Amino acid sequence: MAALGPWLLVLPATMLLFLLLVLPVAGTLKESFDGASGGLLDNYQAFFADEFNRVVLIRSFKIAFMSTFVSLVAGFLGAYMIANASPNLKRVLLILSVFPLLTSVVVRSFSFMAILGRNGVVNTLFLKIGLIDQPLELLFTQGAVVAGLAYLFTPLMILSLVGVLENIDDDLYAAAGSLGASPVGVFFQVTLPLAVPGMIVGSILVFTGSLATFVTPVLLGGEQQMTLSTLLYRKAMISFDWAAANTIAAIMMAITITCVIAMGALANRIAAGRKMR
Amino acid sequence: MLSFSSSIRATTVAIALTLPAFAHAQDTLVVSNWGYSNNFYQPFVFEPFEKAHNVKIVTESGGAPERLNKARIRGGVDVILLTDKFSQIGINQGAFETIDSSKLTHLDELYEVAKHPQGEYGPAYTFGRYGIVYDKTRTDTPITSWCDLWRDDFKDSVAMPAFNTTGGPLTVMMAAKCAGTDAFKDPEAAFAKMAELKPNIVKTFSSGSELTNLLSTGEAFIGLAQDYAFPAIKAANPNIGWAELDEGDFAMMNTYNIPKNSKNKELALKFIDFSISAQVQKDGAVELGAGSGPINKTVELTDEQASGLVYGQDQVEKMQTTPIKQLLEVNDAWEKLWNKTFGF
Repeated sequence: MAALGPWLLVLPATMLLFLLLVLPVAGTLKESFDGASGGLLDNYQAFFADEFNRVVLIRSFKIAFMSTFVSLVAGFLGAYMIANASPNLKRVLLILSVFPLLTSVVVRSFSFMAILGRNGVVNTLFLKIGLIDQPLELLFTQGAVVAGLAYLFTPLMILSLVGVLENIDDDLYAAAGSLGASPVGVFFQVTLPLAVPGMIVGSILVFTGSLATFVTPVLLGGEQQMTLSTLLYRKAMISFDWAAANTIAAIMMAITITCVIAMGALANRIAAGRKMR
Repeated sequence: MLSFSSSIRATTVAIALTLPAFAHAQDTLVVSNWGYSNNFYQPFVFEPFEKAHNVKIVTESGGAPERLNKARIRGGVDVILLTDKFSQIGINQGAFETIDSSKLTHLDELYEVAKHPQGEYGPAYTFGRYGIVYDKTRTDTPITSWCDLWRDDFKDSVAMPAFNTTGGPLTVMMAAKCAGTDAFKDPEAAFAKMAELKPNIVKTFSSGSELTNLLSTGEAFIGLAQDYAFPAIKAANPNIGWAELDEGDFAMMNTYNIPKNSKNKELALKFIDFSISAQVQKDGAVELGAGSGPINKTVELTDEQASGLVYGQDQVEKMQTTPIKQLLEVNDAWEKLWNKTFGF
């Protein structure tokens, strides 16, 4: 009985999770394999046969990869600055970097409309300093979606990296320096390799988030920059094509799971390589 | 131990407290609507109807697709308010009951097009229109035709409705007309003309608020709009006006329907009848304004009340009919062509 105790304690939460997560997901998967003419893969064949769907799939990947890359670079710089700041400044910087997370996604995406719009901050500035004589078309482009997503998810990347960077032993820097490594050499040969686990965790969070997010592509990209999530919404809520919507949901789940497994494997490989050295 | 008189008093109080619960046991009528007009519906429609029929009205609010889905799959809705596009989808899905017209005492007062806009199903309850709005200070030559959208001086100026909105396919119809053909007979030519519009399109939008945002921020100065969105657009940018088009605007209608799985069909019919009466129609037109043109031809409005509304026989007849049923039949084929034109 004593051995059952812990299991009984987690049972209510497990049951809740089963009811609210596992069952609906299983239902979605089942529907996606329920083709109109009885074939298991009918819906998937129909999805991939349509060139527009393939373009949307590739575009979603491209946007997710680009926003992950931009978040990684910006997040690394931010986290590096925070990790090396004095304790008081560190607290302030951390709060500042996490602050956007307290604001709604809609508000944050709208702020980018004000920045990138025809009468927005960027165009007004460029026009005033005479860099351009006509407003640039920055909004409703792939670049706008990537910028919006990077802004949305960089705080997550910073949070993933700060802890990792803080835990790097100062003695390692001292040792590298005493062996003649330049500051740039220390960064590339000590800091960067040791930050890889944090970079991978952050990348997983940003990539999966960028792939699934709905509001930002709708507001900053529109129909011209349709992604899997906006296509899914259109199929489910406007076209009533539930088979296609379930199939897109299943494809998005498969992509996310594959990416998580692949990045996890990469992290393990890097960790194993480091141990061998 | 309670005395006898105390027991009697206690019992009396208990009965008095319990009785109202039984005395007020009422029927409930579930009305599914968008929710944003409830400030009008509550005092002008729901409360008088509740009093007259000793019924409690409960509303279920949300976007048209999700409400239609809920009403069809889960049930529990007695009257559903939808645009004619979504009511036609519901009819095609077999979700609605046919209407016994003999029980609608006000039906004869309606304009012909509003009586049975979709066969034997529910009547329309408002007239609206779909046309072009634009900032009149941004062009010297006014817009007088749908074909003006293709003008060279309108590069990067037009906000277009997405395909899956009511307006998207109507624009395709007008593109065909401007190309001298019929979109249903020659969709390829219609979409070739739509492709020519691409340089003029800034963004495609999916909702009225998105269009308002595009026009108020100056991202676009021409929009293809439904009149219900016009007051908000005008408030955001007073220079925006409604274009008088040679070909006419498209007629939009909102409809009432009774889901097949409703348990209060008789009461639902009475609610519909009450809602299309002259008084409720007039109240709706006055209180809600644009997009709520009265479908009851006996309604009389002052010029001020009628401004911005589809009102009167002339205006009703001047509008182009929206062939919802036909548009839904070609929907999938046209969506593919639309994606091919705009999605790459």
